[in-house]
Amino acid sequence: MLLPAGIALALVSIYPLFYGVRASFTHYLYGRDLGFDGLTNYRIIWNDTFFRSAMLTTLKYVVCTVSIETVLGLGLALLVSREIKYAGPIRVGLILPMTIAPVVVGVMWRLLYDSGVGVVNPIYEFFGLGPPDLLAHNNTAFAAVVLVDIWEWTPLIFLIILAGLQSLPEEPLEAARVDGAGRLRLFFDHTLPQLRSVLLVAVVLRTIDAVGTFDQIYVLTKGGPGDATRVISIYAYNTAFLFTQFGQAAAMLVCLLVMLMLLMIVAVRLLRRVAA
Amino acid sequence: MTRRLWARIGLYLTLGLILLIAIFPFWWMINTSLKQQADIFGGVTLYPHNPTTANYSRLFNTYHFAEYLQNSILIVTVSVAVSLVLGTLAAYPLARFHLRFGLNQSALVVALLVRMLPAILLVIPFYIMLGKWGLLNTRMGLILIYSCLNTSFVIWMMQSFLAEIPRDIEEAAMVDGDSRLTALRRVVLPLAAPGLAATAIFSVIATYNDFLLALSLTSTPTAQTVPVGVSTLIGKIQIEYGPMAAAGVVGAVPIVIFALLVQRHFVRGLTLGAVK
Repeated sequence: MLLPAGIALALVSIYPLFYGVRASFTHYLYGRDLGFDGLTNYRIIWNDTFFRSAMLTTLKYVVCTVSIETVLGLGLALLVSREIKYAGPIRVGLILPMTIAPVVVGVMWRLLYDSGVGVVNPIYEFFGLGPPDLLAHNNTAFAAVVLVDIWEWTPLIFLIILAGLQSLPEEPLEAARVDGAGRLRLFFDHTLPQLRSVLLVAVVLRTIDAVGTFDQIYVLTKGGPGDATRVISIYAYNTAFLFTQFGQAAAMLVCLLVMLMLLMIVAVRLLRRVAA
Repeated sequence: MTRRLWARIGLYLTLGLILLIAIFPFWWMINTSLKQQADIFGGVTLYPHNPTTANYSRLFNTYHFAEYLQNSILIVTVSVAVSLVLGTLAAYPLARFHLRFGLNQSALVVALLVRMLPAILLVIPFYIMLGKWGLLNTRMGLILIYSCLNTSFVIWMMQSFLAEIPRDIEEAAMVDGDSRLTALRRVVLPLAAPGLAATAIFSVIATYNDFLLALSLTSTPTAQTVPVGVSTLIGKIQIEYGPMAAAGVVGAVPIVIFALLVQRHFVRGLTLGAVK
């Protein structure tokens, strides 16, 4: 019974990883396989300043999105931790952004950001500021892309933490309150430690996802203007499919995989522990 | 008393604002998709003053959306069906038996790792593999890849759902003369039906939404899916905002319907079962 599924899994894990690693040692010309090439691809990307800046942009992107989403999600969850009316409709509204295709998310935000059609420029003009054309300038484009990610994924962290909060036992909290502990003390001494494992799951899963972000950025800016939003997935994609340098792209992805592996092992351990 | 009242008003105002932020981009996209070309550029209007379906008919008549939609429906249906069969068959022994060589643990870990791998890490090997097998730019190629990838998710989700079903029930059925497979089909699966349905819907959402794999592994409307179709409306010199908004709506509507069906299980699905 396990065999068919085992073959299916091997086909999308061990087999492609083998191909990927082999491709990273192969010389490609216009997409044609010209044979083993030693470490040339790794040497090229080692000296590639664009690769380095793409890695840095990715790091910046991940740190910005995940930290802001965690703080916002935690704050909101604490705000509504008590029983509220209309919880159903509110949950539906919050789930919507993360269900639809990231490509559609990108389309929606272009319709908001772009000059002539959007609402962002008119809002700035209403306050007497010039039209910012957020996606057209280096600094603002990065912030605009981060904002979209925050809009899409803060609800997930919020819902995870809310579920965690509602499963916490009431009594220790009550006892501490009777003993005269203030709100901040209660939060840092009781709530936060008990939420730790749920919070960790949320942050680790979100981080792994954020590292691979491609779709929204492709639709919003294609990595531009210049290299302001060119994260590693966009750069690797361009290297492979625009410049047909499969070997170099594969080498980049092997590097990325090695870095991600550690995070994924942490995630697996966490998930198994929480699920058990 | 008044202080509590104000706190409540503040809470609901905040929730209302959050909901508005979550929903408004959706409304703006629908709104834009129903506007005349001239009205799209005619300043901010919160609803279409002269509503038209022209954008939708152009989408289907000139931009191949009927083909994209057909491809998506075929690919999603077949690959989700295949992965449900493969995944459930594998999940059952993993949830029920103590297998040799620590197979229970390692199979689940592999399933999880495959699920978490960002698509960008797999896309180059997949491109090379499908190229070798002559499956580039075919629906068969995408079905193969999605079926295998999704099997990992089904294994992980179904073994947690199956583990929640008490053993006694199927053992009773087997005492009554059922073989293990008939017991699985007649007794266990009906009990696991809600979990199976939720798993199926999550699989549909993930497969329908995928962009990066479909973008890289297909190149013409004979095999391209809806998200790729949406993105083809952008790369042009001039963006067709009306059809682009309509395409976004077409891309979002089926998913929103499915998401509403599983909203209760949503966080469980996205956190891979860590939060119930």
